[in-house]
Amino acid sequence: MDRRDLGSRSDVGEERESDAELVARAMAGSDAAFSVLVDRYNDLLYRHAERMLGQADDAEDVVQSAWIKAFRNLGKCRDPERFGAWVFRIGANACKDAVKAKRRENVPLDSVAELESGDGDTAIRVDQRRRLASALVRLPADQREAFLLKHLEGWSYEEMADQLGVRVSALKMRVHRAREELQIFLLEVPR
Amino acid sequence: MTMDPRLQAWLDGDIELEALPETLRDEAAAWSELLTEARSDGVSGAPLGATSRVMDAIRADASRGPVARLRTGLGWLLRPRPMRVSPIAAAAAIALVAWSVTQLALSQPGVGSVDDRVYVQFVISAPDARTVALAGDFNEWDPSIQLADPDGDGLWSGRVALEPGVHEYMFVIDGSEWRPDPNAISYTDDGFGQRNSVLAVTPVNET
Repeated sequence: MDRRDLGSRSDVGEERESDAELVARAMAGSDAAFSVLVDRYNDLLYRHAERMLGQADDAEDVVQSAWIKAFRNLGKCRDPERFGAWVFRIGANACKDAVKAKRRENVPLDSVAELESGDGDTAIRVDQRRRLASALVRLPADQREAFLLKHLEGWSYEEMADQLGVRVSALKMRVHRAREELQIFLLEVPR
Repeated sequence: MTMDPRLQAWLDGDIELEALPETLRDEAAAWSELLTEARSDGVSGAPLGATSRVMDAIRADASRGPVARLRTGLGWLLRPRPMRVSPIAAAAAIALVAWSVTQLALSQPGVGSVDDRVYVQFVISAPDARTVALAGDFNEWDPSIQLADPDGDGLWSGRVALEPGVHEYMFVIDGSEWRPDPNAISYTDDGFGQRNSVLAVTPVNET
């Protein structure tokens, strides 16, 4: 995902309402307008949540809560042109809260679901993915978030800083620490 | 386990693979393979029908009204739940409550405070800035503390209550430019080519 996904969409040659127009209509009471916004950004939120939480069911619950919060607080979206960034931050914070709550409840970390496997996967690849997923859920929420955005979503540090409101140097530190933690896992993986 | 900074730099995209020494190439290849695998995790986005389920949840939430929502929020506080507390932690909590009650009973209005934070005035000259914010280790480096320039003379200032101790901070000009305090007592390298300003806050009764 790159930053364009989080800004207002205005595809050339296609009649498409901007985020700001949809936000204005939603605030005037249009469910349909808000539904278009959900449709536009739900994939981003869901993908991030599933990777953060490791469970599709948990992801759906967290994303749904994030959308409810966004709907209730729509008036606080100061820059409706960047609605995507605003709602992503709500979703990202909800994911981190859910991660912390899971830790508080002592949910066994090994309960993380095995991520989907493709037809051509070898047993080693499936095992590698399963172990990576397990290693990721052991990272602190901030490190996991930074690592996922950097390496799985492909954001630059500048994009992450812009969307999360965190300094580039702090984000680099989080990613570096995450790698150091995962390195232990990496060295154990059969090659 | 620390990681070779050159490998970190390559993974950050700051240097090319060719710049890595041969001794790190195997490790780099393993990382590359791992990240490729990680990206093919089958996570693609919201499942079918997710948008309508979100909208149903929003409508259900809206129809419950503010009182019901408040009750739900309070429910978290009111709902009994088992807590696991070690005997030492429980004893410490009881001692803290007893001490706080004693202090409260002994205190006089306007004299002393249980809050030992110290107000610190931050000032920076930034004549061309539209906004100036303050970020530091005291607010998780979130540039949320806005400074003000009420008379438009380019001097931005604001008062912040800080715990005694050594703090690192920076000013954020127009939401994007991180600038150290030119009048800081000292600076520290943040490890990424930038300098954080350093401030030492002493308790009021020691000044």
